[in-house]
Amino acid sequence: MNKKLLFLTKTSLAKKTKSKWFKIINLLLLILIVGVINIDSIITFFGGDFNQKLEIVVIDHTNEVGETFKMGVKSAEKALDKDPKIEVKTTTKTKKEIEKKIGKKVLVIFDASNKDLLKAQVISDGVIESTDYQLITTALSTTKYNYGLMHSNINPNELEKISSPIKVNRVILDKEKNSDSDNMDMVMGTVFPTIILPFFMLIIFLVQMIGSEIYEEKSTRSMEVIISNVSPKTHFLSKMFSANIFAITQGLLLLIYGAVGLLIRGSIGNSSAVTSLTAQISDIWNLLVKSGFVEKLSYIIPLTLVLLVFSFFAYSLVAGILASMTVNMDDYQQIQSPIMLVLLVAYYLAIMASMFHGSLFIRVLSYVPFISCLLSPALLVLGQISILDVMISIVLLLLFNMIVMKKGLKIYKEGILNYSNEKVWKKFKQTLKKSR
Amino acid sequence: MLKVKNIKKTYGNLVAVDQLSFEVKDGEIFGLLGENGAGKTTTFRMIMGLLEADSGEILLNHKKIDYSITDQIGFVTEERSLLTKMTVKEQILYYGALKGMTDAKILKELKYWLKKFEIEEYENKKIKELSKGNQQKIQFISAVINHPKLLILDEPFTGLDPINVRLLKDAVYELKREGCSIIFSSHQMEHIEEFCEKLIILVKGKVILEGYLKDIKKSYGIKKVIIKGKNIDITKLKKIEGVESIKEKNEEIIIEISNEKLVEQIFNSIKKYEILKFEALEPSLNEIFIEKVGNSHE
Repeated sequence: MNKKLLFLTKTSLAKKTKSKWFKIINLLLLILIVGVINIDSIITFFGGDFNQKLEIVVIDHTNEVGETFKMGVKSAEKALDKDPKIEVKTTTKTKKEIEKKIGKKVLVIFDASNKDLLKAQVISDGVIESTDYQLITTALSTTKYNYGLMHSNINPNELEKISSPIKVNRVILDKEKNSDSDNMDMVMGTVFPTIILPFFMLIIFLVQMIGSEIYEEKSTRSMEVIISNVSPKTHFLSKMFSANIFAITQGLLLLIYGAVGLLIRGSIGNSSAVTSLTAQISDIWNLLVKSGFVEKLSYIIPLTLVLLVFSFFAYSLVAGILASMTVNMDDYQQIQSPIMLVLLVAYYLAIMASMFHGSLFIRVLSYVPFISCLLSPALLVLGQISILDVMISIVLLLLFNMIVMKKGLKIYKEGILNYSNEKVWKKFKQTLKKSR
Repeated sequence: MLKVKNIKKTYGNLVAVDQLSFEVKDGEIFGLLGENGAGKTTTFRMIMGLLEADSGEILLNHKKIDYSITDQIGFVTEERSLLTKMTVKEQILYYGALKGMTDAKILKELKYWLKKFEIEEYENKKIKELSKGNQQKIQFISAVINHPKLLILDEPFTGLDPINVRLLKDAVYELKREGCSIIFSSHQMEHIEEFCEKLIILVKGKVILEGYLKDIKKSYGIKKVIIKGKNIDITKLKKIEGVESIKEKNEEIIIEISNEKLVEQIFNSIKKYEILKFEALEPSLNEIFIEKVGNSHE
């Protein structure tokens, strides 16, 4: 690599990584990511009630359902994969006595009813957490079901047959898909936006970084001195390299922060909430394995990475070229808007990919540089496009980068010495004409 | 030695520089004068290789200027071109490295120049914390840190007080003694007059006057007589044919004449008075510039 190119790249990279801004942001990101992953432990540490048992006091005016309700709560907790944290006690005290000292307890009163068979009253001082309330109502329904059985002549086996859900034998003729593929849409809807969000953020960083650096050098007129010592090509490439290395480094740091968060979670992972989250992740993972997604990762990951790296370059190339036209802050903000808009379109298309069901229009959009980096992997994961489609996206992106690099350098060379106060887009058009 | 041969640069229909030629020898200070928009900055940019001339060539020590030899050129731009968030040391290290210098060499030179400009204490200060004058000194240091063979100074004294102007002028003379070719541009004619042996005046990209300053002045002849004395009767002076105007200012009589033969006639007509000062002057560069540039607009 050219000595001056290496120097400029190193200096630009050092300027970014040694800045207070970078250190503060990364410290905050580390705290935030580790904190989010361990939010339950943090709440517990500060006196939160993740492990605090919920006490339900039962006044059973029927003298028959207290124990059934207790069993119902236990089985509901088990069904929801929750560790037992609800304690049910029957009492002989009156409603008024308990209400006086209700605290965080929940009072359940059962009454027999001629009309409804069994009626229940749930009393608490405040709002009951939704999952707890859901659990209580499930247990109440079970209790009523059993109470009904005891007081009627219905054969329990017959009733079980009637009320049990229908058994469905799902057959999908497309061998590439199995019954779990249906759930992939749901998983994609929840998991994918979280996975691509950091890349979306990194591209925003990239565009802002490269733009601000070129704008700073131009507005301070140091550009003239720099360009008189190194060619515009060397200068431009140094900005590309440093910004992209920075973006990739930042991406890796985010992964490391995530790993640190999980490690910390693992080392303190004995609370019920931990096991619950682990169980949820495990469920999603099993679903992904069953759907065949995990097997596809061997080509999805490399293809996505190639697309991302080329797209980082595409975004930084365009941001750099446009930034060369800026002479003030207004110009700089103006040039960012269209880039951000395209990126936003790509992001929304990617997170809504499962809704398009193989639309040709969306497939064509997935070839478009700037959009392909987020949309193509999403469609590939969903099986709506093939590896060949992604390869087409990569080739188009590569061609786009080569053309923009060649043409853009001429515009960049003109732009960085252009200090006219004309509107930035007008200036861009004029420079484009000149460079032909 | 810098040789500029018949360079031309156009922007669309606008001719920014038209068939410009000049030569700056080693150790020579050359003045490039012109109004705003006369083509000075375009000329500098072409010399620096930032812009390509449509025709003609620019040679530094017989070599075409490209990025292989720009390390030998120093450039002080008209506006301050410093990265203000950097410290003085970081800035000079940055520009020095771009000129291919090692850190050790840059720091040695930096120490020398900071001492020379009496600003050693600012080495680790951020540029934005410095006064305009001190920023200008840093800009100058960044341009000369590599002891260039060619130094381009575009309005180098802007914003400097007389003491700092003197410091910078001394530095320029030092570089001249080293054999550096210097191109100097300024709107302050007294600086050009003091500095430059040779100059060019550009109007709309074209050369309207060029040559050695002393020859140019000589060609204009004596155009002004200044007299200071007691009780001088100026009515007699007014009657002399060829006297264009007479003004009195600060106890001095300033007479503008059409040709230098009138000097003797004026002296003879006032010699009976008590004369404290009698001075016959060639036109100043400022007057020549105004006359030349003014005429070109007519």
